[in-house]
Amino acid sequence: MARLRYLGRKIAWLAITLYGVVTFNFVLFHVLPGNPVQLLVRSGHLTQQAQAAITRVYGLDHSLIVQYLIYLRDLLRGQLGLSYTFREPVSTLLGQYLGNTVLLLAAATLLTIAMGVLVGVIAANRRGGRYDSTTVTASVIGWSLPTFWTGLILVFVFGVWLHAFPIFGSQTPNAVYSSFWVRYEDIAAHLFLPTLTLVVVNIAQFVLVARVSVIEVLAEDFMLTARAKGLARRRILWSHAVRNALLPIVTSSALLIGLVVSGAIEVETVFSWPGMGRLVYNSVLNRDYPVIEGAFLVFAIVVLLVNFASDLLYQALDPRVREA
Amino acid sequence: MPAGIRRRDFLKRAGLLAVAVPGVATVLDACASVVPTAKARILRVGWTIEPDTMNPLTTYSTEAVEVLQLVYDQLMHYDLELKPEAGLATSWTYSSDAKSITYTLRSATWHDGKPFTSADAKFTFDLIKSSKASQYYQWVQSLVSTEAPNATTLVLHFSEPQAFNPGLAVPIIPQHIWTGMTGAQIQKFANSHPIGTGPYKFVKWVKGTSIEIQRNESWWGTKPAASKVSWILFQNEDVMAQGLKTGAVDICPEIPPTIWKGLAGAQHVQTVSLPSFSFHHIGINVSDNPKSGGNPLLKDRAVRLALSYAVDRQQLVNVALDGLGTPGSTLLPVGFGEWHQDITESQQFNADPQKAKAVLTAAGYIDRNGSGVRTSKDGKPLSFRLIAIQSTSVDVAAAQLFRDACAKVGIQLKLTLLDANSLGGTVYNAHTPNWDIFVWGWDAGVYDPDYMLGIPLCNQIGSNNDVYYCNRHYDQLYNEQSVTIDHAARLAFVHEAQQYYYDAAAYIIMWYQDKLQGYRTDTWKGWQRVNGGMVLNFTRDNYLKVRPV
Repeated sequence: MARLRYLGRKIAWLAITLYGVVTFNFVLFHVLPGNPVQLLVRSGHLTQQAQAAITRVYGLDHSLIVQYLIYLRDLLRGQLGLSYTFREPVSTLLGQYLGNTVLLLAAATLLTIAMGVLVGVIAANRRGGRYDSTTVTASVIGWSLPTFWTGLILVFVFGVWLHAFPIFGSQTPNAVYSSFWVRYEDIAAHLFLPTLTLVVVNIAQFVLVARVSVIEVLAEDFMLTARAKGLARRRILWSHAVRNALLPIVTSSALLIGLVVSGAIEVETVFSWPGMGRLVYNSVLNRDYPVIEGAFLVFAIVVLLVNFASDLLYQALDPRVREA
Repeated sequence: MPAGIRRRDFLKRAGLLAVAVPGVATVLDACASVVPTAKARILRVGWTIEPDTMNPLTTYSTEAVEVLQLVYDQLMHYDLELKPEAGLATSWTYSSDAKSITYTLRSATWHDGKPFTSADAKFTFDLIKSSKASQYYQWVQSLVSTEAPNATTLVLHFSEPQAFNPGLAVPIIPQHIWTGMTGAQIQKFANSHPIGTGPYKFVKWVKGTSIEIQRNESWWGTKPAASKVSWILFQNEDVMAQGLKTGAVDICPEIPPTIWKGLAGAQHVQTVSLPSFSFHHIGINVSDNPKSGGNPLLKDRAVRLALSYAVDRQQLVNVALDGLGTPGSTLLPVGFGEWHQDITESQQFNADPQKAKAVLTAAGYIDRNGSGVRTSKDGKPLSFRLIAIQSTSVDVAAAQLFRDACAKVGIQLKLTLLDANSLGGTVYNAHTPNWDIFVWGWDAGVYDPDYMLGIPLCNQIGSNNDVYYCNRHYDQLYNEQSVTIDHAARLAFVHEAQQYYYDAAAYIIMWYQDKLQGYRTDTWKGWQRVNGGMVLNFTRDNYLKVRPV
């Protein structure tokens, strides 16, 4: 019962937060100076009647409050509207860009978390040794590098100098694939450099978090007990130390996983990866309100859901959270 | 497998990473790179701006028009000398009063197999006229009626003689697809699979990645050599230039000056600099609107003249454009050839700070308080707001030079940088234009003086007219040229209009930038240099005429 009430409270909060985000996004972008029709005016002698007609089609002739109500109504009907720029349904557009973004960021995020935690745990285990200092220093250097700079260096080394990997796009343009496998490999090759960039610049947080939490746990009394019981070193480390060091790792992971849908604009720009970051950036410049609102709605939902999931995961991992 | 990549390639790449020895890499490189090119005869264009929509009536982007002009035919096209050539119309004749144009049409087939007739052409012009919301509406404003007396004849009747033949601008669309659509429906129509009569059929548009079209084997003209044309989208110009160097694309139609210079001497790459149909200018708010928030001192021509004299346009070209352009003067860029009104250097309001000071002093603006800023007789300082687009680096550099040059003659400018839409919103706020001076630019919409000469018209306030200039005499000069068919007579009006607007000094045209392009010499040959660019121009003929090496 208490459990259900807890869930109910969480879900209610989820809905309220979502409504707040939706409203905030609507207001935020509509108060920016400029409007989508004005951009079109410069592109060809559009008469005033033509401007007025387009304004009506977009519904921009209504007051802001009416536009907001229409927006809420359409949202409840599951309609995200029509992109002013592409004049296509926002849901179609988001579908295309989200796929690319999730592909890149899911790969990068999983790798970052898995490798970061692995490296961090080993570093903690060999605290003070050469492995520890080397990996910690290397990951911190990676963290302090600007993302676009790291990307460009990788483009130069692996793309221009070594010709080892493609440097732009998510697949070879105009390629005709002889089989599914060939296509898969082409995409994997295109994924390589942007993924590597993201791993290099993000891995440090997991190395450091995993290392510090494991070191802390290793100093606990129950570790001494485990050793005294004669458990194997490896078992002590992975089953007892890491298990107890998981909470901060889950928190950092939730933060990073929540960003999987939002794109990585710098990496997308360097590698011409058609992802959400560029879509949102261009839509802000074009005042393409429906696209911006749709994209931020998706971001908000995913971040909220991931946080919700991590809350539930805490409970599973730590009985103290459950009781509190 | 015409454009395939082999599985082996990936393994090589992966193995290469493991070895990561540069020497080995160079050897492997030759066979390992993905080259879906010459055999399939794909012509690949690299650019950094994505089209907006494939709907020819509602597109506002040059890039979309570039694609669509190969999918849709017009009645007439421009050849590689930018002279009119036959399109769907094999010939055209003007009535004696030049108010009617009769086009004789060829037989052609839509990409979906249906026959093209004069009814489609009539439908297109009628639809643009009735729906109003298209950039092509400007060419049919004085269209009174249309006739299709038989399947191969179209007659357009106008209320005034037409110096510009609209057959050169309007893409012909199929009636059987567009019929019955209202204005609002057209606005919302994505036209994601356009059907035209043109030399290429639309294949696909992968958003954020590329657009592909393929040769129409039953097109009426001489078949182009490229079986496919593909436009590949890059998100940054550096990587696009690398793409040209490594052979991932065959031609880049727009390259920024510094990157363009860096491409010179690259193997198998030819860089080309051509006069363009664009200018960048400093615009001064001369609005007569009582609600205008512009500084009223700018309505004094003496002040505008001084601003113009203060700045050295050659210096702007040298610094901001890295020398790749021509100092500006009148409305029509030098790319327009004889249409451009050439004002001799001694007659230009340019690069003469002493003259600027003299003009200001004579008009009563002197430095009364020793602050370095001149004031008017009633104590108002010559201090103005200057706005420019942050992401347009050439404009920012120019604005800084302009500000510094004006400071030397006693005019203070306060520079603020905005994003493009905010600047547009500020400048085009026709109800209360609250700004003083801006920097941005214009591209010609068609290869005809009409478009750019039309910018400062009174009736363009609220539309293209960005400085709110309104002068009956100028409007009259514009109208005269637009209805004068005789070339020499029209040329005289066009020159006079440019001179008149130049003298008003509401625009300080800084430069006509060069169109900087680059192409590979080992894939396609026969690129013809044309003012405005080999591609991304008013002619589509380079796409149709290049041959594989």
